[in-house]
Amino acid sequence: MQKMRAETVWNSIEGGTSESVVSNVIPRLCLITDDSAPVRRIARKILTGLGFEVDEAEHGQVALDKCQVRMPNMILLDWNMPVMDGLEFLVALRHSEGGKVPTVIFCTTETDVEHIQKAIECGADDYLMKPFDRETLTATLAGVTPRA
Amino acid sequence: MSTEEVVKARSIADATVATLRSFEIPATPANYAIWYEYHAGLSPNLQKTIDVMISNDARFDETALQDLYSLFFSSAKEAQAVRHTSLLALDTLQEIVGLADGAGADAHQFGAALKGFASKDLGQSLDNLKGLIENLVVESKKMAGRSEYVGLRMRESADKIEALERNLESAIRDSTIDALTGVANRKSFETVIRKIAGDAMNSGDDLSLLMIDIDHFKRVNDTWGHQTGDTVLRHLAQTVQQAVRGGDHVARYGGEEFAVILPRTDARSAVNVAENIRKALAREPLQLDLNPPMTPITVSIGAACYEPGDPLADWVGRTDAALYHAKNEGRNRVELDRGWN
Repeated sequence: MQKMRAETVWNSIEGGTSESVVSNVIPRLCLITDDSAPVRRIARKILTGLGFEVDEAEHGQVALDKCQVRMPNMILLDWNMPVMDGLEFLVALRHSEGGKVPTVIFCTTETDVEHIQKAIECGADDYLMKPFDRETLTATLAGVTPRA
Repeated sequence: MSTEEVVKARSIADATVATLRSFEIPATPANYAIWYEYHAGLSPNLQKTIDVMISNDARFDETALQDLYSLFFSSAKEAQAVRHTSLLALDTLQEIVGLADGAGADAHQFGAALKGFASKDLGQSLDNLKGLIENLVVESKKMAGRSEYVGLRMRESADKIEALERNLESAIRDSTIDALTGVANRKSFETVIRKIAGDAMNSGDDLSLLMIDIDHFKRVNDTWGHQTGDTVLRHLAQTVQQAVRGGDHVARYGGEEFAVILPRTDARSAVNVAENIRKALAREPLQLDLNPPMTPITVSIGAACYEPGDPLADWVGRTDAALYHAKNEGRNRVELDRGWN
């Protein structure tokens, strides 16, 4: 049920009416930003299964560069990464041109109130604690309203 | 305050009390303030932060509650101070209403003061609010003076006892240790397994779980009594603790079932650890002078590896299924998950 809902929410935006055929639906791009290759692999598998087009970045700077080329609809964002961490990236993204468009979901092993509050304050739309799985990620996606 | 507002405030207060109860959160003024604000919807960021914690099944332990309070309520801004004070005012109000109920008669004058309080807007400036509360306190003291001395002392004692009980409740609520065996309790296990699995997901390291169950434990209790049963549980907890490495995590999962989380451990090593536990128990049996003499205690053990991306509950379920299989195959043995679940 959660999967159905996540697909409905995320595929009905640009595609127009429910009658639109698959080829008319523009794939929603999700940028997985995480320095862990296993995490990117698992997230890619789940998100692809949900109908997302997926791209990957191993830290915030790479993600920022990719956003300047093509702004994703959604970003799954790790907190602790080398070069540029998740929070720095989020602040830079939200201040950049078109940077308010992507829905940003923090996805991290940080579980304390202070991290959650900081993430929300800096413009994250939701927060998913690791380890995530198909069910928890799908439920989180179903719970956020796409910004665009 | 209009009737409508009173009704609204009442429903928020009710929701607050209900939430505190369902999450087993001690009803301190600070916790009351957090959840009152949450239900009143006054702070979107507080609401979102708490929603994130709820959707992630995070625990509202003392640390989390303290952080919520200091992050969202310690600001010196006047607007926030007013809101905070009106929350405390509501608290006081409820307490005083309770006092009035207890004192029974002679609440007439007091009722008038309450009416005055209720007719004012809680959102007014801090000074006005202070005045209203002071007035209430004066009236409540007058009333307390008229009621019997003994009754008042009882009330004081009850307050003290309540505070003590609250401290004790928090201590019990946030305890991570199983009182009987000294290993981690179930609640702590749930927190730790998530943390360790999160790290394993990031690193890609192996991670295994053992579920250990004492064979025919009911027979032990029925034949030699529950005290002997408790001794057996303590002995097993010690044996397991000594058989595992420092980074491994032993917990009492329930009744006579124990769980061991084994970081950086693949299936083969997990089975080795399980066999070590089983053999250690056989090598050093519990020495008790009992009539009839106790047959040696044995255990059945299930083992399974974590699959990142699968729900944690599935992993625990696969481990339990392996344990079930070990029982079915005649007990006193180790079985590795082979996808029975």
